[in-house]
Amino acid sequence: MSDVSVLKFSFVLMMLLVFASQFYVSVTIAQVSESEASSALTSAEGAVDSAYQAVLRAEEAGANVSGLLVRLNDAGELLAKAKVAYRLGDFDEAARFANLSGNIGGEVQNAAVELKDSAWVASVQRRWFTMTGSIISVVGVVFGSFWGWSFFRRRYYRRVLGMKPEVAPDES
Amino acid sequence: MNLEEYRTVLATGSLVLVLIAAAPTLSLIIPFPSGMERFSEFWILGPNRMAEDYPFNIRVNESYSVFVGVGNHMGVSSYYLVNVKFRNQTQPLPNATSSEPSPLPPLFEFRVLVIDDGIWKAPLTFRVLEASRNNDYMFVDRLSINDVAFVVNSSARWDLEYKGFYYQLFFELWLYDVILKSFKFHNRFVGIWLNMTT
Repeated sequence: MSDVSVLKFSFVLMMLLVFASQFYVSVTIAQVSESEASSALTSAEGAVDSAYQAVLRAEEAGANVSGLLVRLNDAGELLAKAKVAYRLGDFDEAARFANLSGNIGGEVQNAAVELKDSAWVASVQRRWFTMTGSIISVVGVVFGSFWGWSFFRRRYYRRVLGMKPEVAPDES
Repeated sequence: MNLEEYRTVLATGSLVLVLIAAAPTLSLIIPFPSGMERFSEFWILGPNRMAEDYPFNIRVNESYSVFVGVGNHMGVSSYYLVNVKFRNQTQPLPNATSSEPSPLPPLFEFRVLVIDDGIWKAPLTFRVLEASRNNDYMFVDRLSINDVAFVVNSSARWDLEYKGFYYQLFFELWLYDVILKSFKFHNRFVGIWLNMTT
């Protein structure tokens, strides 16, 4: 084999390797992207679910959660976009939307926990005032009734005892 | 009235006042049933946000729009998933008796949180991107929903009775179950019939 043929063969082999390596690298990147997208989706779903549960607990504690729900709706919308993109094989977009959704979910969860704590304190105070007010009112009514009854009874006896017997005219 | 009768009147009045004074505390301890039925509304409106002018006769590359809405009367803020699906006349719908969703894969979806006694609604625009006819069969290959293209590959046979190639765009309502920690089919679905004309 001549030197020129060896050179040609080497060049062709090198070009083939370059093309093959490009294909291999692109496939590898696509696979990584798919697994990343899948993982980002799972993580975002978990974040939004946890945020929703935290919002429910805050709502149960008596907090006004309408602002949190607006934010969580943004997370839900992004998560839906991520799901659709994933089904269509657009893993880059799926991962991007999922990460954004997960971030909002995390923020909402933290805000919901804080809101729940403050609502809980307010709720305990409200219950305390309600119960104290009720107890004072009941005690007041009971004592008032006894005092009123004894006052009324005294007046009643005084009135009865103060009555003078009158002689009715004989109409027979 | 004698003294005994006065005492009965006073005791009754005092008891009523005690109950009124204790009512706020009793309401904290004893859970009173609200008596409200818990349910979710699910509806589709036409392009003018009215229950009329729904798209029916559709053509390739023409856009049609509807509004989909959810009303929450579940007593708490609820997390809903609305799955958008497309089927021909032979493909299965959800089974309302067994509360089973349609086995068809969803194309598009909405995830929404609705406050108690609140409603959510959103526009949905769809367009058949590719369809072809072969004698008694219509093939819808691609469909776009809210500007996202989906491959559907759905064929419909000519309906001799109603004279058309019928498809259905339908929506399933799923509700997040806090105990299961996942969405569960809420046994509600709505849809519109479409006659593919070309």
